[in-house]
Amino acid sequence: MQARILIITLVLGTAVAAGLLLALRNAGEDPAPVTATILPAGNELPDFTLLSHDGTPVGKSEFAGQWDLVFFGFTNCPDICPATMTVLGQAQRQLDAQGQEPVPRVVLVSVDPERDTPEAMARYIGYFGDGNLGLTGEIGEISKLTDALGIFFQKAGSQDGSYGVDHSTVVLVIDPQGRLKALFSAPHSVETLVHDLPLIMGSG
Amino acid sequence: MWRLALMFIVVAIVPACDRDDGPPVVAANVVVTAPAAGMPMAAGYLDISNRSGANIRITHVSSPEYESVEMHETIVEDDVARMREIPVLEIRDGETVVFQRGGKHLMLMRPIGTPGTVTLNFYSEDLLLLSVSADFTAAMD
Repeated sequence: MQARILIITLVLGTAVAAGLLLALRNAGEDPAPVTATILPAGNELPDFTLLSHDGTPVGKSEFAGQWDLVFFGFTNCPDICPATMTVLGQAQRQLDAQGQEPVPRVVLVSVDPERDTPEAMARYIGYFGDGNLGLTGEIGEISKLTDALGIFFQKAGSQDGSYGVDHSTVVLVIDPQGRLKALFSAPHSVETLVHDLPLIMGSG
Repeated sequence: MWRLALMFIVVAIVPACDRDDGPPVVAANVVVTAPAAGMPMAAGYLDISNRSGANIRITHVSSPEYESVEMHETIVEDDVARMREIPVLEIRDGETVVFQRGGKHLMLMRPIGTPGTVTLNFYSEDLLLLSVSADFTAAMD
């Protein structure tokens, strides 16, 4: 009788230990995105025509063929835009350093086309890394994108005639089929982007 | 790394200082981020500690290297960033106010020439409370 109890205890103990080990290993791998909101169906981008930072007209086909991280901002934004662009650039460098393939491109869409000429976008985009894309153009064309993607922006004037632009801070992940696949809410961090992006891109 | 203080100098203080163990208004972690080439805007960040024994009010900031410097705050609510000017910044005795990315910041507008080092002067009306200088820090650092 005592031998039977001992055997049952050993079997149960081994099973519990194995279960704990498996749980700990899975917790270490942490295979699910921790910050990003995933859109399994993937919302298609609308038709639009904007100017790239080199002055070339581009439409939604520009988003086909690579992963993109899209942020809406403006070059005269002194704080949140350069902070976000810096985080995105650092995440790109870290993903590249750890051998991630592909590394997503960063796309800045201007919400201040009045001041953001293609030339201004080119200077600004180039400051945060190579191979990225700046888009600007007619306000109506920008609104086609922002309306479809749920992006808010609004000019906010001050008494001296200068102005800023209130705008959404989300970073959108666009897949190689040109579909909105996921989004990151602020505050953005290199760590969460580097953790989540390979998982999002791997789920393709 | 971006908060690394490059250089800071405290040169002038509140006159009614009742403590003699160090300067009454102290700056730390002074950073001025370099703008992209040709851009008229830079941002400044720092911590300001008030050890003067009295509450202080910063009414304006100036820089010999920029035509205009304003105190601003970015407020992010419901994933929307709104930037608003801070007309007067009150710092209670013993309090430290932190200017940091995504929060309070200095907006430096229209550079005079091509500045390398930037000096920032903080005033209460006509009284210079604090002066700090910092080299530019690249945005990606």
